[in-house]
Amino acid sequence: MSTTKRSTKFAALAVGLAMVVAACGDDSEYTTATTAAAVETTAAAAETTAAPAPDTTAAPETTGAPAAEAAMRITVDINPDAVWEDGSPVTVADFECTLNAAINTPGSISTTGYDKIIGISAGESDQQVVIEFSEVYAPYKGLFGSLIKAASVEDCNDISTDFADFNGTSNTEWLMDSWSPSQLVYVPNPNYWGEAPKVERIVMVPFADGDTQNAALLAGEVDFIYPQFYAGISDALADPNVTSKVEFGGDYEGFYFQSDPSRGGPFSDPIFREAFVKSIDRDAVFEQIYIPLSEGKGKLLNCGPIVPGPYCNDAWAEGQFDPEGAAALLEENGWAKNADGFWAKDGGEAPTVRWIINTGNVRRENTQAFLIPLMQAAGFNVVADNCDAACYFQQRLPSLDYDMAMYISTAPPDPSYLVPGFTCAQIPTEANQQQGQNSTGWCNEEASAKLEESDVTVDEAARAALIKDALTLMAADRVMLPLFQFPKAGFWRTDKLAGAVDGQLNNYNAFNNFSEWEDADGDGQIIIGAEQWPECLNPVTECANSSWMVWTTAFPISQGVWETTNEGTYQITNLVAGEPVVEVL
Amino acid sequence: MLRYILRRLLWAVPIVLIATFVVYVALRVGTDPVASYKRVNQRASAKKIQQYIEANGLYDGFGGYIKGYFQWLGGFLTGDWPRSIKGSREVWPAVKEAMMNTLRLGITSSVIGITIGLTLGVFVALKPGSLRDSATNTLTFVAISTPPFVSALFLQLFFAVYWTRWFESPLLPTSGVYPPGQQGFDVGLMVKHMILPVTVVVIQIVAVYTRYMRASLLDVLNSEYMRTARAKGISERRVLVRHALRNALIPIVTLVAIDFGAILGGLIITEGVFSYPGLGMYFLKAFENGDFPLMMPWVFFFTILVILFNLIADVSYAVLDPRIRLD
Repeated sequence: MSTTKRSTKFAALAVGLAMVVAACGDDSEYTTATTAAAVETTAAAAETTAAPAPDTTAAPETTGAPAAEAAMRITVDINPDAVWEDGSPVTVADFECTLNAAINTPGSISTTGYDKIIGISAGESDQQVVIEFSEVYAPYKGLFGSLIKAASVEDCNDISTDFADFNGTSNTEWLMDSWSPSQLVYVPNPNYWGEAPKVERIVMVPFADGDTQNAALLAGEVDFIYPQFYAGISDALADPNVTSKVEFGGDYEGFYFQSDPSRGGPFSDPIFREAFVKSIDRDAVFEQIYIPLSEGKGKLLNCGPIVPGPYCNDAWAEGQFDPEGAAALLEENGWAKNADGFWAKDGGEAPTVRWIINTGNVRRENTQAFLIPLMQAAGFNVVADNCDAACYFQQRLPSLDYDMAMYISTAPPDPSYLVPGFTCAQIPTEANQQQGQNSTGWCNEEASAKLEESDVTVDEAARAALIKDALTLMAADRVMLPLFQFPKAGFWRTDKLAGAVDGQLNNYNAFNNFSEWEDADGDGQIIIGAEQWPECLNPVTECANSSWMVWTTAFPISQGVWETTNEGTYQITNLVAGEPVVEVL
Repeated sequence: MLRYILRRLLWAVPIVLIATFVVYVALRVGTDPVASYKRVNQRASAKKIQQYIEANGLYDGFGGYIKGYFQWLGGFLTGDWPRSIKGSREVWPAVKEAMMNTLRLGITSSVIGITIGLTLGVFVALKPGSLRDSATNTLTFVAISTPPFVSALFLQLFFAVYWTRWFESPLLPTSGVYPPGQQGFDVGLMVKHMILPVTVVVIQIVAVYTRYMRASLLDVLNSEYMRTARAKGISERRVLVRHALRNALIPIVTLVAIDFGAILGGLIITEGVFSYPGLGMYFLKAFENGDFPLMMPWVFFFTILVILFNLIADVSYAVLDPRIRLD
């Protein structure tokens, strides 16, 4: 399961698809059979960096009337054929309900973006939606990623007790037939206006244990699985009737350095931090740890806290490993090695670098075992300071209680997650009630300004340039060290499944094109194994803070204006009649 | 007898209260339900948190613990159970389904395992030092030393994965209570899905009870009263059944009663490996979330179960050993 530090993989609804930072990536569930579920879920809830900041201010009540001072307006024409599962049309009321639910529901996991909306109203008809924003909001495509049917809830301002164990609404190909702790069944939505699914039924079943999931696929009990990738998985699933596709998606792993000066850690000294980072041989780590993992398919990530794409400028490609330069830099600034061989400043005590990972994660423990002796030999007193996943992702990282950390994040298609993750205002302080999500404590005013400006820059080229500038500054400040873009893999049985099975495996929405899959063995159903199982189906509250929850219970039955693509971009869905009109006022 | 049972049942009431109160306090201190709630519901308003505290009686201080416990107990007994902290779901349906799955698995495994184990124990105890004794001893040591997840994986590989390669379909399923897509009750499919997990548990139980029974019976067979019985001219069969077995079973009955709770609790690993949604997985999930409203019914259920089986053990004593007077 992946790593996403705290919060927000936003569910279908709240921040929509893109701003959410998925929590997929912690592969510790493969270490033991019995603790897998616990680690998985904890990590899912916690291990994300790229999460929009929680809104600590009072959420505004929304109204249907547009306000006069709007800075941006989006006009959405709903497809006249678009209807809910009962045949009722999708209207502006559903958009308004979605907004109110995200903003006002107690326990809503994020209001980011929605809190900038000052009005939703009907345009020429109730199937034209006019959305007005208080300020320009560039990541608008992440909003209204899926809709809540207004008629399905009693009070759109509080849907916290709705959808506890069933969601019978749908504006997609699928309709939920049943949900239980043991399985989830989808059947075709008879009122769907688009192309009908090619199979009569989709069944999803949970597997708390990775080995059991593999065995179930090999035994033909499930048709498709989407497991966390690990070294040797292809061998474990080698079978003439099983095939796979491996792609490199939004998950990436890196080292992070606690840079907040107010915390007083060793890396709050930028000279020491630079020298330390220059002493890390990323190529050696990559060869030792990631080449075996990726079965030779991966390559070193140089983009920073983002994956290759329009916002990557490979800012970390050059000048990162320079041990001689590191030593010279330290010596120039009054550092010298002490009797123990560790760097100490002005004859003082050598700083201890506390490197935290989650206990039981074999890959990270191996990385520590490999790198700590090298760093100690280079004169840095690095010690492992690990704790379990809950402690790591829910306590230590959010409270910035570490010097060096290693984790996976999932980058959604839109880079807006960089603002909460890396700007000065988002460092947890008394001022923001310790709710900021910049867990590196890094503050570079220039970079923050560029990132914040990118959030209000609608022009995509200009926005990309701003992001790249900020990443360049980040690389220069050595606040993190990207390592590896993680593989995403689907494994399926060719004797049971055909069609576009491998079409969307890299998508942020994962495998949700199963309406295009074909039932090759003719048993009338496609069975999908799920590594995690949602504890409830509410799309805006805490249960939505999990990749598997949105993959299994939100995306399949609820679509919105935009959807993510396999290429990491957004496209409009067939819920709308055409590309929405965006006006900066 | 009836009077004794009633008296023990009355005694069970304060025992249940004390035991559940101790566990209640332990859970409150160990998991900090309010902190867990805030962690799971990171954007919960102060009002919502206060509602949670009041709904669950999570008051501070020793007095608060007592008040909270009785509030919880009152709600529990009247069916007014607080909802789970994650997803605000009703607790009873989840407990009920998990409890039924675990009881089905645990009782089936225990009955089969203990029956086979005791029979095997008698079988080998009658000829100590023989080939069958040595072979059984060796096998039981191997079985005891094999962790459940290893035997589970082995069985899954053999009966599902490799069987599919050899014969194109699995002989037995790897996981779940029913095959994917099954809706509604089907005893045949349910039994088929229980075979592998039951086998894993039974292997452990058989090994343990074979050793217990063998040791207990050998001890009895070598006692002086057995010699006396034989000297009186009682048939060997009657000596074995009326005197030896009956006496050898007395300590075993205690073990069975005590073990039953342990067997149910020990199903966590088996349930995990077989993706079997029982109380083990239920508790792991609840504990991981610090979900107090989910954990307390689990604790209560196991407390009742242990007390009940201890009562059964005491009554069984009296039936097996006439020296024990119930009143």
